[in-house]
Amino acid sequence: MLEFIGPALQHLFTLENFLWINLGVFIGSVFAAIPGLSVILCVILFLPFTYRMTAIPGMMFLLGIYCAGGYGGSVSAILINTPGTPHAAATMMDGHPLSQKGRTKAALKIALYASTFGGVFSALMLLFLGPQVAQVAAQLGTAEYFMVCLFGLTIIAGVSGKSMIKGIIAACIGLLISCIGADPMTSYDRFTFGVQRLYLGLDLAICLIGLFALVEVLAKAEKKPGQLILDSKKMNDNGKITKDEFKRMVRPTILSSIIGVLVGIIPGTGASEASWFSYDRAKAMSKHKEEFGHGSVEGIAAAESANNAVTGATLVPLLTMGIPGDGTVAIMLSALMINGLNPGLSLFTTQGDIMYAIMIGLIFVNLFMLLQGTFLTQLFAKVVSIPQEILTPIIVLFCFAGAYSVNKNYFDVGVALIFAVIAWLLRKLEMPPVPILLGMVLGNMTETNFRRALLISNGSPKIFVSSIYCIIFIVLTVLAVATLIRSKMKEGREGTKK
Amino acid sequence: MEGKQSWMDRMDKKRDEIGEKLEKKEINLPIDLITGALFLLIGILTLLVMPGQVKVSDTDVVNGRAFPTLLMVVMMICSGIVLLKELYSVFIKKQPLTTKKVNLLIEVKALEILAILILTFVICKVTDLFVIGAVFCSLGFLVYFRCKKKSYYAITVTVAVLIWVAFRFGLGVAF
Repeated sequence: MLEFIGPALQHLFTLENFLWINLGVFIGSVFAAIPGLSVILCVILFLPFTYRMTAIPGMMFLLGIYCAGGYGGSVSAILINTPGTPHAAATMMDGHPLSQKGRTKAALKIALYASTFGGVFSALMLLFLGPQVAQVAAQLGTAEYFMVCLFGLTIIAGVSGKSMIKGIIAACIGLLISCIGADPMTSYDRFTFGVQRLYLGLDLAICLIGLFALVEVLAKAEKKPGQLILDSKKMNDNGKITKDEFKRMVRPTILSSIIGVLVGIIPGTGASEASWFSYDRAKAMSKHKEEFGHGSVEGIAAAESANNAVTGATLVPLLTMGIPGDGTVAIMLSALMINGLNPGLSLFTTQGDIMYAIMIGLIFVNLFMLLQGTFLTQLFAKVVSIPQEILTPIIVLFCFAGAYSVNKNYFDVGVALIFAVIAWLLRKLEMPPVPILLGMVLGNMTETNFRRALLISNGSPKIFVSSIYCIIFIVLTVLAVATLIRSKMKEGREGTKK
Repeated sequence: MEGKQSWMDRMDKKRDEIGEKLEKKEINLPIDLITGALFLLIGILTLLVMPGQVKVSDTDVVNGRAFPTLLMVVMMICSGIVLLKELYSVFIKKQPLTTKKVNLLIEVKALEILAILILTFVICKVTDLFVIGAVFCSLGFLVYFRCKKKSYYAITVTVAVLIWVAFRFGLGVAF
C-alpha cells in the first residue's frame, strides 16, 4: 500500500483534479438541493463529460457530484421542508423544525459538519478496507463470483420497491437487456433482430438516460405547476452551535458513520436505509428523545453523517468485485472501465497509483464539500426556487446531447426515448427501475461466471455449492431473502391495521 | 406579441376545457394482474424467438441460450406467483383486485411531453442540427407550462444554445 501513496499523491495534486473536484461538488450540491432532481440523474447527465477525461479527473468529478449530493439534499429539507433527495427525508424530520425555530444556518451547519465527518470516515474506511476485500475477492472463482452477483441482485430486488417478486422480475429484465448484442463467450449475435447497431449491445449510459432522466421529465405531467419559494429572511441567524450541542453531536455522528459504512458495503442498499436506521438508533440511544422531531441536533447529525458515510463504502464492492453498492456508483463503473480500469485485485496492485489517488481524492472531495458548504450555502439555497419551466428543457437537452455524444448517433437518442416510455409504463405497474439498472450492470459478469463455472464442471450445477465461499453466499442470500420477506410482511400487516 | 398571446390564450382555453373533462376520468388498473400476465407473455415470447435470435454451436457445453433461458424461467415463475397470488386473493379470499388509479389527464399530459420529446428528436435528426431541435424543445416546454414571462423565453433559449455550444465546441461533438 505505502509504495503507491507517493505516486498517487503526485497524480492527485494537480490543478486540473482540484478544479474537477470543485466543479463536481458544486454541481452535485446544486442538483441535490432542487427537489425532484436526484444525484443519480445528475451523474447520468454529466457522465458523457468524463468520456474524454482520464480516470482520475473523471472519477474526481463524479465523486464530487455523488458526495455533495448527500449534503445538498439536506439544504431544501431544512429550508422548505422538502427533501432535495430521498435520503434527506430523515434530515428533514429535525432540520426543518430547527429552521422554524429561527436557527436555519445552525441546522445547515450541523448537517454540513456531520456530512463531512461521515464522508471522510467513509473514505478512510475505503482506503483501508478496499485492498483487504480485494485480496479476499481475488480468491473467489467463477462459481463464487456468480453467487456474489446473485446475492447482490437479490438484495437489490428486495429493497427497491414494495414487492420483492416485482424486483426480481425487474432484475431479470435488466439481465436480459444485457444479453442483447454479441455473446461474451462466442461472439455470436443475440436478440439483435437484424439491427446491426445492436451487435455491440445497448450502451448503459444511454439506457439510463431514458430509465432515470427522461422518465422524470414525463413525470412532470403528474405535478401541479408551482414554484417553491424560499424566504431569504429565514437565513438571518448567526448559525452558532453551542459547546453543549457540539458535544451531543459527537456520539450519534460517530455511530451513524459506522452504520453508514456497514450499510453501504452491502450491495443494493443505500443512503436512505442508512439515514433512517441511524436516525432511529440515535433516537433510541439519546437522553433527549423528546427533542426528536422538534429540531434535535442529534437527529440531524445522525441522519446526515450516515447518508454521507455510505459514499465511500459503496465503492468497496465496486472497486474490489465490480459489484456496485448502489445505483449511482453503478454508473461510475463505466467511467472507470472506459479508462481500462477493471475492478479486482489488479486495480490495487498493477494500477495501485491511480486507485489510491482516487481513494485519497475522496477525502479531499469531502473537505472541498465542507469549504463550499461554508461559503456557498446561500447560493445553493437560492437554486431551490429555479422554476421548472426553465429547468425541464435544460434536463431534456442534456439528456439528448449526452445520449448522442456516446456514439455520435441519433439511434442512441431514439433508444433513450424508448427506455423512457418503458420506464413510464413500469412506473404505472409499480415496478422499481433500480434492479433493471443493476441487472444491466451485472449482466455480463453474472452470465460469464455462470457459464464458465458450468464449463469447468462439465455442466454439473454442483459447482455452485462446492466451496465454502459459495455456501457462505448461499446462506447470506437465504438470510437476506428471509429478512426481506419478514419485513415486507410486517409492513403489510401494519398497513392493514392502519 | 399581442397576436401570440391571444393565440396562446386560445390554446390554453382549449386545453382547460379538455383538461376539465379528463380530470374526472379515472381508470382503475389491476396492476398485479397486468404485471403477472405481461411478463409471463414476455417470457414465453422470448423463449419462442430464442432459437431464431441466438445462434449456438453443437460443441458448446453451455451455450448462449442457457443464461437467457434461465432468466426467462425465473421471470415466468415470478410472474406466475404474482398472478396466482392475485387470483387467490380475489377468488378464495374474496378480496378486491390490487388496483392503481390512473388519471386520464395525467396520461394525456405525459403524452404531450412525449410528443415534444419525439418532435425534438425528429427535428434534430432531420436537420442534423441539434441547436434547432434544442430551441424547439425550449419553446415547446414553455408553451406546455403556459409560461407568459418573456424573460423565461429569453433565458431558456439562450441556455439551449449554450448547451449546444458547450457540446459542439467544448466537447467536440459534431451535431
